[in-house]
Amino acid sequence: MKFLIAEDEIELQESIAKYLSKESNLCEVASDYLEASEKLEMYEYDLIILDINLVTGSGLDLLKALKKQHKKCAVIIISANNSLENKLEGLDIGADDYITKPFHLAELNSRIKAVLRRGKFGGDTELVFQEIRLDTIARAAYVNEEPIVLTRKEYDLLLFFITNQGRVLSKSIIAEHLWGDDSDMLDSFDFIYVHINNLRKKLTSAGAKYIHTAYGSGYKFIVD
Amino acid sequence: MFASGVVLYFSIKMLLESEIEEELYSTKNRVELILKSDPEHQGIPPVIEVEKVTNLRRKVLNDTLIYDPLQDEIELFRQLSETKLINGQQYRITVRAMVIESENILVAIVSTFLIIILFAFIFLFYFNKNRNKKLWDPFFINLDKIKSFSIKEMNQLDLRESEIIEFDELNKELNSLTAKVHSDYQNLKQFTEDISHEIQTPLAVMQAKIDTLVDGLHINQEQYQQFSSLENDLRKLKNLNKRLILLAKIDNNQFVNDELISLNLIFEDAVQNLTELTPAVFKLESNTNNLLKIDRSLAVVLCDNLLSNAIKHNLEDNEITIKIEVTKVQVLNRGIMPLKHPDQLFNRFYKESRSRDSNGLGLSIVKKICDQYGFLPSYSFVELEFNTHKNRYHCFEIQFNNVKY
Repeated sequence: MKFLIAEDEIELQESIAKYLSKESNLCEVASDYLEASEKLEMYEYDLIILDINLVTGSGLDLLKALKKQHKKCAVIIISANNSLENKLEGLDIGADDYITKPFHLAELNSRIKAVLRRGKFGGDTELVFQEIRLDTIARAAYVNEEPIVLTRKEYDLLLFFITNQGRVLSKSIIAEHLWGDDSDMLDSFDFIYVHINNLRKKLTSAGAKYIHTAYGSGYKFIVD
Repeated sequence: MFASGVVLYFSIKMLLESEIEEELYSTKNRVELILKSDPEHQGIPPVIEVEKVTNLRRKVLNDTLIYDPLQDEIELFRQLSETKLINGQQYRITVRAMVIESENILVAIVSTFLIIILFAFIFLFYFNKNRNKKLWDPFFINLDKIKSFSIKEMNQLDLRESEIIEFDELNKELNSLTAKVHSDYQNLKQFTEDISHEIQTPLAVMQAKIDTLVDGLHINQEQYQQFSSLENDLRKLKNLNKRLILLAKIDNNQFVNDELISLNLIFEDAVQNLTELTPAVFKLESNTNNLLKIDRSLAVVLCDNLLSNAIKHNLEDNEITIKIEVTKVQVLNRGIMPLKHPDQLFNRFYKESRSRDSNGLGLSIVKKICDQYGFLPSYSFVELEFNTHKNRYHCFEIQFNNVKY
């Protein structure tokens, strides 16, 4: 996949690029409005990660221009402002998702994949990892084509693991992904353990052992 | 008043004395005239007495006390006695006049004064009262306006003008003062909001760096623990910032989509979300189906903050009770002893115990939302009977006043 990361904060831009390149994606960067609009004119991208507040202009204007050209390109807005109005404005203009700073890169990654899975970008709505298959439309999971019964959260957790396979996920990343703002309400993420354990048991009993503990307190979904 | 009374007393007395003396001399002269034509005249005792004497005596003017049979009392008289040779006969003529007693003069003066003072007092009292009322009216009206002044409302004080220069000056100063207070408050609010937003980007950079570092393959377990702890602090900072933004937004009245909302549903949703997140058990009791006029997201925030506060400060994993009634909602969690400073409970960054990892903003958000809608939040420590033994609870209550059915 080919991504454009339009973000004026160089450090953040580099981190995102580095993180996403790991999955053999091609990441190009743009540090201001002009550079971003030039690159958008010249090249085709599968997805743009667009900061609303680019130093020399608004990301929203870039988005408008993009939509005028009817380019088939997914857009995820990143913004420092988490007000609902901004979010709705961005989505109205045609962004596919909206993520508020600060965010976890794993979260951004899972949002990117969710957007690309959508039919209009030609993505596959099915997700396969070894013998595990997820039907993202029916929200159902199969191991060796045998359905396994998962709770809503367990399904989300498995989807998150598969989209971020091979990466270390801390409890707080998982908690923030699954419970969003609600996870702010609690000081400890020990409750995550219960859900992960339940999922692990269900997968293991179906013969799929991929959830590993990393560094004692994090998790990693990987083939041994 | 007293001095003028004394002066008046003596001057009246002297005046009367000289007047009497004058009268005495003129009476004596008249008697002399009568005696010239009628040598045997006897006078009118005791006021005029005429005696024939042989030896000449000096003229005497003095006071004397004489019994007056007509009035049946001893009276003070002024008398003038002189020996005169008329038609070759020595006569001693004594004329007397009754003197007005000093006492009487004094009484007259004092009573006159008292009456004057009384009338002057009554007159001045009503006069001043009316005058003052007119004078101070603008002042008190303005005072009321100042009392009802709220820093959050942007409208100016609109003080009433008066004819008094000092008051006008005061108004002028007050107006410039409130204008300054308003602009300072706005700046401060703007500053909080701006800084919160500005902090988001560096936070995002830090977060992204930690994520990429942890995601790399070149760290060991100890380093991971360090990053985790770093990330934990970062998360606290994120939460703090998020809440500050929320507070600023409530302050700026950015939540305006009031609708009628069922508290039962809000709490049911929250409880359902929370049971996945905590081992605590919730008991939801409701004897009503209240609809509350409030912005939906604020209702959710209110409810979440009350519940998360209860979870954080619950004694072990005891049941948390939520009671929804017509005019109020209560959230109860078990506790050992009452809070030490319940009055500071809703203040920003107030923490009852240092040991807890809370950011001290949850309840101040609750307070802010309550202020917005005129709800009354309160805290109490209660003892309730439960299965024959008594349990002690921290009870957070919110009273509503605009409940709709």
